[in-house]
Amino acid sequence: MIKRRTVLHGTVAAAAMLGAPSILHAQTKTLKITTWGGKWGEIMKGTVLPAFEKEFKCTVQADQAFPYVPKLQASPKNDPLYDVLHTNSNEQWNCVVQGLVLDKISAKDVPNIADVYPWSVSDKIVGVAIFTSAIGLGFRTDKGLAKPSSWKDLADPKLAGARGSYIIPVNSLGQCHLMMLGKVYGKGLQDLDAAYKALEQLKPIKLVDFTGQMEKMLLAGEVSMGVIHDSGVYRYDGQNQPVDFASPSEGVLALEQVLNVTPGSKVKELAFAYIDYMLRPDVQKLLAEGVWYSTANKKVKLDAKYDAKLLTTEAKVATLIQPDWKWYNARKEDIDARVTRLLRG
Amino acid sequence: MSAPRNRQPFDIGRAAYLAVNGLMLFFLLVPIAIVLVFALNPTPYISFPPVGVSLRWFQKFFAGADFMNALTLSLWVAACVLVLSVLIGGACALALARGHLPGRAFLTAFFMSPLMLPAILTGLALFQAYLLAGIGRPVWGLIMAHTLVAVPYVIRTTLAVLHNFDRRIEEAAAVLGAGPVRVFFEVTLPLIRPGVFAGGVFAFIVSFDQFPVSLFLVVPKGETLPVVLFNYMKFDLDGAIAAASMVSILLALSVVLVLERLIGLKAYVKL
Repeated sequence: MIKRRTVLHGTVAAAAMLGAPSILHAQTKTLKITTWGGKWGEIMKGTVLPAFEKEFKCTVQADQAFPYVPKLQASPKNDPLYDVLHTNSNEQWNCVVQGLVLDKISAKDVPNIADVYPWSVSDKIVGVAIFTSAIGLGFRTDKGLAKPSSWKDLADPKLAGARGSYIIPVNSLGQCHLMMLGKVYGKGLQDLDAAYKALEQLKPIKLVDFTGQMEKMLLAGEVSMGVIHDSGVYRYDGQNQPVDFASPSEGVLALEQVLNVTPGSKVKELAFAYIDYMLRPDVQKLLAEGVWYSTANKKVKLDAKYDAKLLTTEAKVATLIQPDWKWYNARKEDIDARVTRLLRG
Repeated sequence: MSAPRNRQPFDIGRAAYLAVNGLMLFFLLVPIAIVLVFALNPTPYISFPPVGVSLRWFQKFFAGADFMNALTLSLWVAACVLVLSVLIGGACALALARGHLPGRAFLTAFFMSPLMLPAILTGLALFQAYLLAGIGRPVWGLIMAHTLVAVPYVIRTTLAVLHNFDRRIEEAAAVLGAGPVRVFFEVTLPLIRPGVFAGGVFAFIVSFDQFPVSLFLVVPKGETLPVVLFNYMKFDLDGAIAAASMVSILLALSVVLVLERLIGLKAYVKL
């Protein structure tokens, strides 16, 4: 005969079993991040994120679908769509002004910050830059061109119609190039009048939206020289493509990969842990060698072929120029209107 | 001695008609031909003229888990949108045409309004509404959003059929003893079917190719094909994009052909 107590015990056990998955689920934290696609995305999804999930016993929801900032803006600040926002520096500055991300992240929250190069947490950065690329000049090696040594080489009349840059209102490399024209032809990065004048002298010039398009135009020979980040050229290393990258003597501009935490995140500790994890030497090495990015962590030892080309020493890092995005964003509308008029047709 | 041939006089109007049609076909088909050339070109970048013929980009597309997941999701969403749009759009069109509703003109404009609003705003508004309602971004939310944009197509094509509908046929069926339900299913529905299903085809294609509305409503690992292609293009602008475009075009064409075989869309040509 089944006793009442046995039935009660059984019922409680069954209820516990049925409830167990939801309890487990509730205990598993979810970290919502943004991240890039392409090769970067492959490495992240294939290796980096699964290892993080295993170590921190969490789930990472990685959004690779642009546009991140409008989505973050549209979500409630006390329950943001993302916990960690990965974008380039210019967008982080837009976000910090709107209170969408933290102003600064310290070594107290992210211990690996103690080992980063100064550019990673400089006053030109909100959040933490975990990698950077160098924006310089990509060029064809089969067109009889000398390796460019100055930004002024892009204005060579021989390159009329065969030089390339970006649609400035939508691409931060184009915005960087405009500021660099101010430095090279005028008084500094913020000399917009000199920059506009120099930009006009570059016409006819092919303009694209994305760096991926510039890569392909260089590969296809549609442009012989163009503004591009070093990783966009080095990624074809060993593929027998007639393209190379040059760092102009006036300096290269930084295209930083910045991580930042949203103030309303419900899993801030996990978010900081993720940034700390991304700054670990082994993770930095894996990604840097996968996509040819220069690491933020000084302790990373890259293999020789990467070490030779990327910004891995204090001396090489010194050539890096970080634009003042706060200054640029404040006058972006005027700049957009002016360059659109200037480059029309 | 051969008989004199009956020569038709040169008809300048007909020649102009044929020339305009030829130009329109050229305008519509040349981009597809160019996409096909890019899809078959083996170079790792889009270039013209092509240097050979290869299926490597099709292989890359079909071997990519992200592409395949997105393709499956897009097909699933488009199939649901087709069914929902036909049901909702067909019912709305009947109500507008037959219902003697007050404010009919306003209601028609209201149902058509998703076509007038920029789709990106529809996507953003729904995204915010979903988040505020605390439902997140479920797949059914995406299906509802696509349906919202697709329903006007079904309403428009069904209204066109209903406009030319001879109501005496229904009256004859009723006089012969058929009840309203039987009249609807055996007389009305077969006669308006071409318009409803033509709208359904539009709805399927609108959903399958939908980008601006999906942009805000897709979730990680739950992205539709147009969104995946857009993001892919930012990092890898190679022939896989062209291969994916060809697959999309062929799928849309297949749906049209299957529906033509099943329900005879030729009747829609009269609309």
